[in-house]
Amino acid sequence: MIAFLIRRIIQAVTVLLAVSLITFGLFFLVPKLTGSDPAALFAGRVTNPDALNGIRIKLGLNHPLLQQYWDYLGGFFHARHFDDGPDKTTCSWPCLGYSFKNDLSVGHLIADRFPVTLSLAIGAPIIWLVTGVTVGRISALRPRSMADRASMLVALAAISLPVYFTAAVLRLFVVYDWHWLPDINYVGFTHDPVLWAKNLLLPWISLATLYAASYARFTRASMLDVLNEDYIRTARAKGLPERTVINRHAMRPVGTLIITLFGMDVGALMGGAILTESVFGLPGLGKLGYDAISQHDLPIIMGVTILAAFFIVVANVVVDMLYAVIDPRVRLS
Amino acid sequence: MSNRRSKVAFAATSVVLTIAVAACGSSSSSPSSTKTSGGVAPTTAGGDQGNVAAAFNAATKGVVNASTTKGGTLNLLATADFDNLDPTRTYYAYSWDFQRFFTRSLMGFDSKPGADGTKAVPDLATGKGVVSNGGKTITYTLKDGVKFQDGTAITSKDIKYGVERNFAQDILPGGPTYLHDMLDEGQNYPGPYKDTDPNKLGLKSVQTPDDKTIVFNLSAPYSDWDYIMTLPSAAPVEEKFDQDPNTGGAKYANHVQSTGPYEIQSYEPNKSLVLVPNPNWDPSTDTIHHQLVNKVVLTEGLDSDDMDKRLLSGQGDIEIESTGVQSAAQTQILRDPTLKKSSDSPLTGFTRMFALDQNVPELSNLDCRKAVEYATNKVDLQTARGGPIGGGDIATTVAPPTLPGYQSFNNYPVGSDNTGDLTQAKAELAKCGKPTGFHTNIATTNKGKGPKVAQALQAALARVGIQADIQQFDSSSYYSTVVGTPSNVHKKDLGIIVAGWGADFPTGFGYFSAIADGRKILQSGGNSNWAEVNDPAINAALDDMTATTDAAQKAKDVQTIDHALMDGAYYLPFTYDKALTYHNPRVTNVYITNAFGMYDFDSMGVNDGK
Amino acid sequence: MTTLPGDASTLHDDFGEPSTPEPGTPAAKAIEGRSLTKIAWTRLKRDRVAMTAGCVVVFMCLLGLFSALIYPHLGGGPQLPHSDLIDGNTTLPTGTAGGVSAQHWLGVDPTFGRDIAARIVEGAKWSLLISFASTVLTVILGLVAGLLAGYFGGWVDSAVNWLMAVFLAFPVVLFGIALVSGMPTTAFGLDNLWLHVVLLILIIGGFGWAYFGRIVRGQVLTLREKEFVDASRSLGASELRIVFKEIMPNLVAPILVFTSLQIPANILAEAAFSFLGVGIPLPHASWGGMLNDALNYYEYDPAYLFIPGIAIFVTVLAFNLFGDGVRDAFDPKAGR
Repeated sequence: MIAFLIRRIIQAVTVLLAVSLITFGLFFLVPKLTGSDPAALFAGRVTNPDALNGIRIKLGLNHPLLQQYWDYLGGFFHARHFDDGPDKTTCSWPCLGYSFKNDLSVGHLIADRFPVTLSLAIGAPIIWLVTGVTVGRISALRPRSMADRASMLVALAAISLPVYFTAAVLRLFVVYDWHWLPDINYVGFTHDPVLWAKNLLLPWISLATLYAASYARFTRASMLDVLNEDYIRTARAKGLPERTVINRHAMRPVGTLIITLFGMDVGALMGGAILTESVFGLPGLGKLGYDAISQHDLPIIMGVTILAAFFIVVANVVVDMLYAVIDPRVRLS
Repeated sequence: MSNRRSKVAFAATSVVLTIAVAACGSSSSSPSSTKTSGGVAPTTAGGDQGNVAAAFNAATKGVVNASTTKGGTLNLLATADFDNLDPTRTYYAYSWDFQRFFTRSLMGFDSKPGADGTKAVPDLATGKGVVSNGGKTITYTLKDGVKFQDGTAITSKDIKYGVERNFAQDILPGGPTYLHDMLDEGQNYPGPYKDTDPNKLGLKSVQTPDDKTIVFNLSAPYSDWDYIMTLPSAAPVEEKFDQDPNTGGAKYANHVQSTGPYEIQSYEPNKSLVLVPNPNWDPSTDTIHHQLVNKVVLTEGLDSDDMDKRLLSGQGDIEIESTGVQSAAQTQILRDPTLKKSSDSPLTGFTRMFALDQNVPELSNLDCRKAVEYATNKVDLQTARGGPIGGGDIATTVAPPTLPGYQSFNNYPVGSDNTGDLTQAKAELAKCGKPTGFHTNIATTNKGKGPKVAQALQAALARVGIQADIQQFDSSSYYSTVVGTPSNVHKKDLGIIVAGWGADFPTGFGYFSAIADGRKILQSGGNSNWAEVNDPAINAALDDMTATTDAAQKAKDVQTIDHALMDGAYYLPFTYDKALTYHNPRVTNVYITNAFGMYDFDSMGVNDGK
Repeated sequence: MTTLPGDASTLHDDFGEPSTPEPGTPAAKAIEGRSLTKIAWTRLKRDRVAMTAGCVVVFMCLLGLFSALIYPHLGGGPQLPHSDLIDGNTTLPTGTAGGVSAQHWLGVDPTFGRDIAARIVEGAKWSLLISFASTVLTVILGLVAGLLAGYFGGWVDSAVNWLMAVFLAFPVVLFGIALVSGMPTTAFGLDNLWLHVVLLILIIGGFGWAYFGRIVRGQVLTLREKEFVDASRSLGASELRIVFKEIMPNLVAPILVFTSLQIPANILAEAAFSFLGVGIPLPHASWGGMLNDALNYYEYDPAYLFIPGIAIFVTVLAFNLFGDGVRDAFDPKAGR
């Protein structure tokens, strides 16, 4: 178990290194290939040579690319010092560099936006897990019934809708036309929990719709599989009450798969939900990244990409471990 | 400069303030809260002759809801953050307008509606610059009792220090470079951070004989100097803050020290900014700025449609970016008389145009450029910009109607309905030797109205066989590196460049110098002379403008340049930009100042005490 | 279910396994018998829902294929402006329901007055081209990777697995947008339009393969141990022959099922990129781009919002129904 965990973590670290190298390479090389100078992007309209030079020094763009990458990586392990005349800056650990545009620490910006994304990644998964599994379970227990057919059709329809369309239409009607909810304006949980939930309700629903549909289909399919297994027949033959058969015996393997899926989805969501966040104007990581892209703010793009990859990789490790704990059949080799 | 809404001019060419048709309704000032305590009877309200009743476009003609009511909170909205909050580094027009809350310079724009707002009047200085030495030496004297927010008295050395910061381009890039360009005079002053002078006052071209006097020594006469002194980048900065590694240099943006009526209580970039009254601002020293509300809250980072909803539902007072509401809100306003009453569609002082780059092979021939001019459908372009109310009036000149010296003329009439003169366009094509048309590219940003404008032009040119591909570029680097670097324009074959231009300060020189001066084609980026115009007659007229102090002569120079630009078909102007803006009915002292082509934020109050 | 479920970037699907360290039990199981494809086809033909959905799919494909022939009948094509149908002040179409008329069945778009039906047809063309091509790319890459890893095992398996982990770790949407917007407008001899088409195919297809690779790898791991493979090996068949003649035919089912469910996912992905402004460049029409534009006008021109939304919905739903039908035909146990 421990050995497996260690191997898994080593793999995760190498994966993250590869992601950071590829991201760094692409984002810092592409401007070079296309002839656009990151320093000029930073300088704005006025691009006199002094300004460009100053920016290059400040951002470390005067160093070879590999050294820049090395310095960047260093920031994950220790604080970095940017010395630029009177403009000495210490970027405390973990340092993800400084925004090209407004001189703020990327780490600070991310920390600032993370609660929004986290809120999204807490509420929506609860909704989709509960509704998805419930619906899928009901469907599987009465296959080919009206309820099954109807819910599977709805699920398929929900999967076929683009999330930004659902989000936009929901917002148009619920907020603008019917005034059931106030307009979305993120408020911190600690500030006012009720208002927090009210503001996030629509984003949660629109995000959860798609996943819930997918989970319902998945639950149903795997449960139908399981119900055909011999051990279920055995359990029934033993005369166990149907409720026990379903809850104790059938749901266990289904649950294992759902947990796996759930872990990975939540992990991916923690890195930011660009479409949902931008349609609802939620200032989360996805929007931070998206805005940074439109301003060519490379350090922010890098930071958000690597953080998102980090969550995905961590979720993978966690899911693997959980999987091993829950399902003893899995060989940890 | 289109994403940087800039300074405008209305002229002394008096568009006489159409004085309140219904002056009676003027100022619905409600039961007052507290009355002005200090001596600040808002000069804005300027007696009663400028006051007008709330009506569509009323704020372009006079002061709407004139009132001296104090108290309440002004709620401002914005989609994005300022380019920079550091007065030295900011270049957006709305940001300059916003700086008036907390930044004072030697001179400032008068807080008056319309063209009167473009006058440079003394602010920290006791009077206009005293010119001597054949126009090359300009001297100002400071007022008594002017202080920074920490109570330190402002001296001429603080102003000199602020000017010196413009030289530290390596640390503080982004702002206008007039001060750097005109005061360096070959001394290569490195900026205050690398200054060897113990007091960090080593810039030789600016002298401070005593704490109240500052002397600028220019190498050539420059008759617009008072305007240069209105720039936020000419504002005083306290050396002790700026030399402190924790609050100075690039970090000063987060520690701006106020000299105006408000100070910054908190600033979270892309989220919010809160201003509260500055206790060390003495209204008796100030004839321009106002301190009516108890708090100014700016909410940033809003989605633009969301921002419109908030504005129209009264959750906000004005949108400071002043680029006009989005399409949905525009329709809503135009169809609702109550909303329309609180709306204005001012000329912003921008001209929307295409630059036709003569150094791109397909457009090197004058007749080919003329073919493009004639084939244009200006009605479609106007619609693409948002129509006559949301977009602007159809343009035929590079100079906007608000520029002093502007005169209307039309070298390339595009039919009585403005949809294009295809016969003439084909004739020009034949003359340039390409009777079946040619292929070129249209460069545009990927955001806002640029892509729509490009599509409208593309469809219009296709009618005479000119095939133009649309090339979209990222807006953040569009003006600096994409179309701002001539070699890049040539390499990518960007014959037609979607652009917009407004003056940095409301004079002919402030408008034309960057887009028409052949000696200022910047090869390394940030070039605004997109068409690469280099015409001796234009260059001479530009020089003449800065030398003369005669308004009539300046006006003549404006016309000379405008005609030369159109004769050469270097630019294809299509709209004089307008922006449909809305103000909450509760806001008092609402007017458009032509200095910025938008509301004067700092004069505003609210009449419901909230 | 999609390459872009919501918009986070996990890849999971209800017919496959979530990625596990050692997928012990391949999901689409019990694929045996030479004539499985034929049996499945017979079953599929009897599935009325799937066949109806299939007809919709074919119809959309025909629209896309013959778009150029259809344009003349649709208000002159997707790029032709009709400013006479636009109210200058509001920039909205005049007339009812977004300017519906005999010439413009679905009305015209705001600002330009271009025929919406023609733009939907053009959108179908790009949407289907990109989703088909990216799916093909995904399948080829995934197949090669899965076969290599599953059949050869050992260090090859470890290396491929690691590579797949790297690709699965990328936040696809964010990375994709950043990549496209950082690209020049023309490159590699491609013009702006085709450069974007190729980039979209590479991004959408290039990030999906790792997931499919894992499915194939799991299948191959099981197949490798089967008796018929052993038999073939003992008869002295070459590795190549075993891979292509013995293992590949058994992968037809998962490939077909995966393909038919990946195409709709990729349609959504293309629409998402276009919606975010990094898809098909102007003035060409894309469903996502139209939706994004329509958000500016929804209150006064809701038809313009709903038409592309419905186009995406119907097409994706049809593909999904058809895909479900294909899966059920191969594996009736999972059926409805």
